[in-house]
Parts: sequence; structure tokens; C-alpha cells
Amino acid sequence: MSAQIHTLLAMAAHFALLSLFAVGGGVKILIPQMHAEFVLQDHWLSERSFTELLAVAQAAPGPNFLLVPLIGFRIASWAGAGVALLAFLVMPVTIAFVAGRLLHRHSNAWVANFRQAFKPITGGLWIASGLVVAATIDHALVPLAITVIVTLIALAVDISPIWWCIAAGVAGYLI
Amino acid sequence: MTIGLTSVGGAAGPIRHVLVKQRKWLTEGELAEQFGISQALPGATAVNLAVIVGDRFAGPFGVIASLLGLIVPSLLLAIGLLQLSAQLAANNPHYAAAEVAVTAAVAGIFISNGIRVIGLVWNDTPGVQPAWRAARVAIGALGILLVAGLHMFIPLAMVIMLVLSMMIETRLNAGAREGSV
Repeated sequence: MSAQIHTLLAMAAHFALLSLFAVGGGVKILIPQMHAEFVLQDHWLSERSFTELLAVAQAAPGPNFLLVPLIGFRIASWAGAGVALLAFLVMPVTIAFVAGRLLHRHSNAWVANFRQAFKPITGGLWIASGLVVAATIDHALVPLAITVIVTLIALAVDISPIWWCIAAGVAGYLI
Repeated sequence: MTIGLTSVGGAAGPIRHVLVKQRKWLTEGELAEQFGISQALPGATAVNLAVIVGDRFAGPFGVIASLLGLIVPSLLLAIGLLQLSAQLAANNPHYAAAEVAVTAAVAGIFISNGIRVIGLVWNDTPGVQPAWRAARVAIGALGILLVAGLHMFIPLAMVIMLVLSMMIETRLNAGAREGSV
């Protein structure tokens, strides 16, 4: 029991710190960091379950940050999901609450400047996340081909990404 | 509020559809502004947006209602899906292969989204000299190198990139005021 409490506290510390760096590009820019911490460093998750969590988080309807409570659930069941969720939400929600009230009255020039400055960072980190995710999958030909094909087609055809997930799932099942 | 956000469940497209088109709680411009603020603050964009919009319309209780509406239903659904998925994968090798394929597609989606954003950085700024645009794109390339290549601690990589990027934007703004860039 105390071992579980220890895990929950350690997990809360991880997610509370991560939450402050989910800026500009959502949770997916943090995927390489979560992989390094939870899979490689703490061994809380296997490569296989990390892959599964990414697939489910992307395929399930709802905000992408649900990956966070899903990781918590996989590590420590319902208590884990609750702790991960609260740890990840408490600081950003407080900041957003205060900032929403302040910015409503003040100029938004810094927001515009910050967004412009952040765009290339977001783009670069998204690509990096994709590369790290691709590298966590077994180095077989079919997944590699799917990654390359989806990258190219999704650039040309701008539709909801859920369709690429469904198409890839069907292809993976049949091949 | 709860109903509104329950029915959308998250992603940027549906949020816009419900808040602006169906409920008419915000205009297009107001949403773009709130969305920009939500993105610039730490935390998930959807959560920050729910907090700001919820507070504006119904105070602290609005915040709680919109957060619960955003998170609870979709989280329960996702956990159900995760359980189902784990069972199927354990019993059926075809399903396990399908799951790997979906993750491979997720990687592709991330990469193409990133390329799209970098493309916007290059294209969306007429009047900015190519050298400066290249400098912006180089920030993105640096991010790929630091995180995917060197496996740097992401918060540290972000601080390095943000400092460089803010330096570029500050120089550009100063130049724009003098009319030379």
C-alpha cells in the first residue's frame, strides 16, 4: 500500500512539472519527455503499453491531453487516473483563471508576439514527437511505411486525423 | 455549459462549431483571441479555453461545470476503450498489429502537422525578408535536432528555442518600426 502511495506521489510530481511545459503545442510536444521518464527511466510502462496508450488517446474522441489520465490509469488504475489528472490540471487551471481575468482588461500585444515566437517551436517539437513515436515502434517495414504514407497524404489532404487512424488500423489488421 | 462541452468533447474544430455556430456564445474573433491566449498559457489548450470561457459566462461555477463537461465523459469513454483494447490485443494478434499501425499513423499525423506549421511560418509573413524567415524555420529545425536527435530534456530545449525565437521577433519588430525590414 505504501509502495502504491509512493508511486502516486512520484507520478503527481512528474505530471505537475510537465503541465507547466505543455505550452503552445498541447500535450503532444511532451510525448518524448513522457516516454523518457515513464518508460526508460522509471520503468512504469513497457514500450508496448506506451504505444497502446498513444493509439487509444489519439483514436478516442475528446481532448488530446486525455493521454495524461490514461497513462495514470495504466500505471495505477483509477487512483492513478485521478492523481495524474489533478496533478496535470491544478497549476494550468489556476494560471488560466487568473490570466483570463487579467488579459480581459489588458492589451494582447504580448500574446500576439509570443504566439509568433512559439510557432516554429511548436512545429519543430511536433515533428520531433512524431519521430520519437515512430522510433518507439518495432522497426518493421509495415509500421514505417504507414508513418511515411500518412505523413505525405495528411500533408496533401487536410481532413480529421481520425480517418488516418481508422485506415491504418484496418490496414494493420488485414496485413 | 456542461451539455455544450460534453457534446463536443474537445478538439479545436468541434469547439469552434459549438461555441460560435450553435450557441453563439462567442464571435469568430473573440474565439480566436481566447484560443490564442489558451495556447500561450501552460497546460492543455482545451482546458485553458474551458476555464476562460466558463469563467466569463458563469464565474467559478462555470469553470467547474465546463471542466467536468470537457473531461469526465470523454475520459470514461477513453478508459473503456483502453480496457477493451488491451483485452483484444491480448487475445488477437491481428488486433495487436492494428494497434501498432494506428500508432504508426499517429506518428505520421504529428510529423505532417509539424511540417504544416513550419510551412505557415515560412509562408504567412509576406514582407519579411527570406533570411529572417529562414531563421524562424531554423528554430523549428533546432527543436527537431535537440529533442529527437539529442534527446534533450524538453523543458530545457524549449527555453533555449524560446530565447532565440524571442530575439528574432524582437529584432523583426524593431526593424518593422524603422521600416527597414
